[in-house]
Amino acid sequence: MRSTHPFELEEVMAYLDGEISANRASEIAQHMQQCAECRELAGSFRNLSHELAAWEVETSPERLTEEMNSEIAAAAGTQPKQTPSALVELTPIERLIALIHSLKGRPWVWAGAGSLATIFLLAITLPTLMTERTAPFIASRDGADVSRSASASVDKKPTFGGTVRQSQREELQALQKRMAQDEISSSIENHAVPAPPPPVPSASASTSPLIARTVSLSLVVKDFSAIQAAVEAVVSRHSGYIGELNTSTPPDAAKTFSATLRVPSAQLEPALAELKQLGRADQESQAGEEVTKQYVDLAARLKNSRATEERLVGVLRNNTGKVKDVLEVENEISRVRGEIEGMEADQRALQTRIDFATITLSVTEEYKASLNGAPSSTGTRLHNAFVTGYHSVVENVIGLVAWLLESGPTLLLWAVLLFFPVRWAWRRMRRAFTSQPKVAAA
Amino acid sequence: MATDEQLILEFQRGSREAFGELFLRYRELICAFFRRRVKDAARAEELAQETFVAILRSVQRYEPRATFRTYLFGIAYKILANHRRKLDQNSGGAGSGFDLPDPSAPGNAETGMWVREAIEKLEANDREVLLLREYEELSYEEIAGVLRLPVNTVRSRLFRARLALKEILVSVPGRSVREENALDSSI
Repeated sequence: MRSTHPFELEEVMAYLDGEISANRASEIAQHMQQCAECRELAGSFRNLSHELAAWEVETSPERLTEEMNSEIAAAAGTQPKQTPSALVELTPIERLIALIHSLKGRPWVWAGAGSLATIFLLAITLPTLMTERTAPFIASRDGADVSRSASASVDKKPTFGGTVRQSQREELQALQKRMAQDEISSSIENHAVPAPPPPVPSASASTSPLIARTVSLSLVVKDFSAIQAAVEAVVSRHSGYIGELNTSTPPDAAKTFSATLRVPSAQLEPALAELKQLGRADQESQAGEEVTKQYVDLAARLKNSRATEERLVGVLRNNTGKVKDVLEVENEISRVRGEIEGMEADQRALQTRIDFATITLSVTEEYKASLNGAPSSTGTRLHNAFVTGYHSVVENVIGLVAWLLESGPTLLLWAVLLFFPVRWAWRRMRRAFTSQPKVAAA
Repeated sequence: MATDEQLILEFQRGSREAFGELFLRYRELICAFFRRRVKDAARAEELAQETFVAILRSVQRYEPRATFRTYLFGIAYKILANHRRKLDQNSGGAGSGFDLPDPSAPGNAETGMWVREAIEKLEANDREVLLLREYEELSYEEIAGVLRLPVNTVRSRLFRARLALKEILVSVPGRSVREENALDSSI
């Protein structure tokens, strides 16, 4: 029977361990507020961890420090030319070097390996040279920057650095061009309007990008009791306010506190720095949504609608026609008025998003996870093993097919190119071998 | 405060103080790592020292691709594996692979014996992931780096280990009493 929860139980565990992305964590947190079963599961996770903490071992002896000090002193003189410790096993690279040494004096192995390596390199590099599109793919596949991928796994949201910043700059330039065009077209339109249009808000006239910033921050704190007051103090110091606040203090589990904080955008960095001092920052992600286009579009539409409204009022004022026409104009004015009010509300909301950055703060009392939930029966374990095995098979098959699709054409090309020369060489060699005995016999 | 990675890079450039700082940060963790896994307390101490000596001597091999914690516990884990292999060879392959500390031995001042006994009942692979998470407090990614496993496998094993451990602990008779006693004594 499938679980009715929108998440795997493993994900609840990962959430409690702080091993899940901020977005997913917030979804799980919301679900847990409504789901008693998941709350109970989380509680038993924590209980288990508390129980595990009961196993304590003796602290390290002082003589270890003394012995290490002498080791450090001894190593200081020879450190730049250190050799790997014999205690550590050979790494794959060292094993490869040892293998290479062992193959010395066997030229046929080298010749064969060299030919294979050449063919392989040609097969790899030829498609790269032929198509530029594959280059970044290969680079990303071969890239081994573990630390960067580790940090990227925490949050995939765009940031204000590196290539993202470059792309934002390009987007902004394109947007500024469009804004200029929009202003020209709207000024042409406004020439037909009798009354002068109200001034466009100053923010839209500025050429700097308008960014609505959001930050998601997860903290783990030891002293939970003072956290709410501390957060309120930070927010108040930076002239912000608390949008939403939830505190959960279950009697037998770690307490959690979540809040949506709004602080002036200019105060975001100092406020964040202060918040991070309240505990250990478990997870942090920042995002910035550029709303310049939205803002400018809204301002232009608002300007046009106001002009339309004034024109309609003018028509109504000078109208000497039938009552039906008067009513139609009034209806039109009322519709335009409604639109203007809606747009004004949107503009105010947008302005607030720009002026005030949003910090989604999640604070958890320090704890270690534990577990309850489904019984660990043999059937469940076999089922899980089967599912894992199935996924593994599917992934392998997909990987193989992808590899064949990717490298197949190149391999095929080489097979076609090399087929005739190889066959010719093979026949010639065979002929040479068969003719030798005849010559000898003759 | 300098990060572990900054300190190890400083040590690569010849700063002894940097290594001293790293040693202070990880001394207790590494000692506890071996004490929880090795029967003989004196041997556990030796293995902890061997780990730091290995770091000291092979510092030039460190590359900042993974966290220092992954590197450190990776070396500790290799040393532990060597130790277990030797134990297995000496016992003719009859070892369980988990060399639980002996509470009665001198130098072993442990608490929470029921927890230790429950952990012993776990499957070896699951147990190692659980210990690294619960006691060494490594992240899933760091555990994956130490044990050379995919992160998803780490998560599955941890989940399985916690489920199993929960079941085992529930079935331990008189556990709650002992727990209360332990609490009382700690107060």
